[in-house]
Amino acid sequence: MTAALTLQDVNKRYGGFHAVRDLSFEVGKGSICGFLGPNGAGKTSTIRMILGLQPATSGRIEILGADDGRRVRNRIGFLPEERGLYKKMTPVDAIAFFGALKGLPLGEGRRRAREMLEQQGLGGASRKKMKELSKGMAQKVQLIAAVVHRPEFVILDEPFSGLDPVNQQGLEQMIRGLAADGATVLFSTHVMQHAERLCDKVVLLARGRKAFEGTVDEAKATSRRFLELEGVIEAGQVAALPGVSNVEIAAENDGVRVLKAHLAPGARGQETLKAAFLGGLDVRRFDLREPSLHDAFIDLTGDNPDQDQSVKPAGQEAAR
Amino acid sequence: MNRTLLIARREYAAYAKTVGFWLSLLAFPLFAVLGGAVPILIKSSEPVRAVAVIEEGPQANGLAAAIQDALSRDAERQQERERMANEAAEKATGMPVNSSGAAKGAFARLAGPRLRIVGTPPEIAAAPPGEARDEIVRRYLTDETPKADRLDAVVFLTRDAQGPAARVWTARATDDTVEDFVRDALRSANRKAVFEGAGIDPVVVENAEKFRPTISVFSPKSVSGGEVSFRDKLPTLIGMAGGFLLWSLIITGASILLNSVMEEKSNKILEVLLSSASPTEILAGKVLGVALLTITVLLGWGGIGAVGLVAAAPETAGMIGDILLTGGMLGWFVAFMVGGYLMYAVLFAAVGAFCETPRDAQTLMGPIMLVLVIPIMTMSMAMTTPDAPVVKILSWVPFFTPFLMMARLPSDPPMIELLGAMAGMFAFALFMVWLSGRAFRAGALSDVKLSWKSFAGAIRGGGN
Repeated sequence: MTAALTLQDVNKRYGGFHAVRDLSFEVGKGSICGFLGPNGAGKTSTIRMILGLQPATSGRIEILGADDGRRVRNRIGFLPEERGLYKKMTPVDAIAFFGALKGLPLGEGRRRAREMLEQQGLGGASRKKMKELSKGMAQKVQLIAAVVHRPEFVILDEPFSGLDPVNQQGLEQMIRGLAADGATVLFSTHVMQHAERLCDKVVLLARGRKAFEGTVDEAKATSRRFLELEGVIEAGQVAALPGVSNVEIAAENDGVRVLKAHLAPGARGQETLKAAFLGGLDVRRFDLREPSLHDAFIDLTGDNPDQDQSVKPAGQEAAR
Repeated sequence: MNRTLLIARREYAAYAKTVGFWLSLLAFPLFAVLGGAVPILIKSSEPVRAVAVIEEGPQANGLAAAIQDALSRDAERQQERERMANEAAEKATGMPVNSSGAAKGAFARLAGPRLRIVGTPPEIAAAPPGEARDEIVRRYLTDETPKADRLDAVVFLTRDAQGPAARVWTARATDDTVEDFVRDALRSANRKAVFEGAGIDPVVVENAEKFRPTISVFSPKSVSGGEVSFRDKLPTLIGMAGGFLLWSLIITGASILLNSVMEEKSNKILEVLLSSASPTEILAGKVLGVALLTITVLLGWGGIGAVGLVAAAPETAGMIGDILLTGGMLGWFVAFMVGGYLMYAVLFAAVGAFCETPRDAQTLMGPIMLVLVIPIMTMSMAMTTPDAPVVKILSWVPFFTPFLMMARLPSDPPMIELLGAMAGMFAFALFMVWLSGRAFRAGALSDVKLSWKSFAGAIRGGGN
């Protein structure tokens, strides 16, 4: 797959603070790439460098064949993390204005805006002022404004933040739609479930460094599966079962224990369970758990993606 | 449409489509008229004070008559001043002054007497001096007495070792109108008595007091090359008004820009804009959009002023038009406006890029506004003494050049000085565009707490 975006050994420093370290990854044309990491991991700084809003301290960035995002800004759509539109404008005017800044004629922008608002169930809101819309509606309008000019590359910075589950689902559909129309999508998030459902590829970032690059399945494969067993059983009995690498006691009540048996790479959970029953262990409940992207992230980085890693050095710009 | 024009168009429409903008546009001329009319209305609505005058004993004989004489002379002088003002107005406007109705009433009251002498209430006249009489006087000065009989002041006249003296009881402790009038009248009576005592004929004294010299002013720089007329003073007034107008327009425009950028920063729109256009395009678009607004304001104010002037004083309007167009003042005004606006607009926009709330902006705007007061204070000096060294020096400071040079224009400063200061102003304006561009770029994406130190750091870093 041809790369729409390539980062090679990119670094970003704010004075003495090293926000992004030796970051390299690629995003293939027409794919959806999740750019994952906790708040403060360096995602926004990286996105700003990709867009050309901030220069990289060192390294190379190539987007849509250009070595500076500013040269291809009309072919890029961008939704920033902190969102806002002109409060006194109508959604149609706001969308057409931002489209026009990307080279779309105002009339065509208005026509597309009405059409896209209608598709998103916001037809009735098209004549209202932005300040009269709910947060979810305003975010949809802003996303439409970011893509109304039909960009080849769409960058969405934390697009799901602040949305209720229904709107999050709607946004996931929009992102799938963009990719289906041929656009490359790079979106940052610290909520792994969205990436798990949407992405062809994920890049995990922790404390400014890349922790992983690959598909969701590849990421999950780096994490160990485990078998959750509940019953009157000893940890030692479970540890002796085939395929078990180590055992943790998750809970204990009146002699009934909940044990977490981590499986060795390549081990088959069914074989372990079979051995447990054949061995006569008093197992009252069992659950074979596949690792989630969230588990993989913790295993890969040692960090929790829900935790804030942002550091704002005194006198420097905030580096997110 | 190119991005700069798109941003300019949005900027213009965002303000021009609001009712508030048009109301504030009309507010300035309205307040200018009110500002001039209110003091006149206050003065004209001032009541004529009812004053009782009592001579205390035979030594005070003639002093009440002296007060009455002074009152008559005062009325004559007021009428004379009104006649002269009318003549000057007729000379300036070329039209006969024909005020009528409410205006005529207001001006008549302005020129009328400030006090009238009324008969002394018998109660006061009969009472012997002392606490009991003072008590009766107090009653006549307060609302214990019916309004029709109430007095504004009671004056007891006497004569002591130095000459005429008075005790003045007044209804309002802060109103010194009667006190001042009585002092002047008694001083005049004393002067008359002294001169008469020296054997000088009272008619001669009276005539000497009435004498008002006729003074004509000539200048080689007057239009006629001789006598100075209203036409000669007009350019100075226009220069002064132009300086103040420039100041108001530039600060109004730059403040609109500051608020606009601040709003975009706080609403997180700037980052989206920056992903679609360069900082230079954004800054240029915003500066251009607000410049168009400022021109709208100027045309609005100018139009209202011109219509009002043509209707009220067509000859003066013609003279002003002549000075502005043939004298080249309009051209200079436009040039100073462009340079001045550019200088302040980009500076204010850069400050706005660092601020999310007006409180943030105060940190940087406080010192800037203090600097901006200097030309206001110096402009009046530039009108009377345009060649004063301090005025000359300050008019070379780029931040003050537009206002002070505008005010100095009527005094025909040397062309080299005019062009030099203007070149300096434009060079500095370009420097400000460069400097503010860097600050704008840095501020737009920065979450940094605003201070002069961080602002300077951002300019050095230029957003990198």
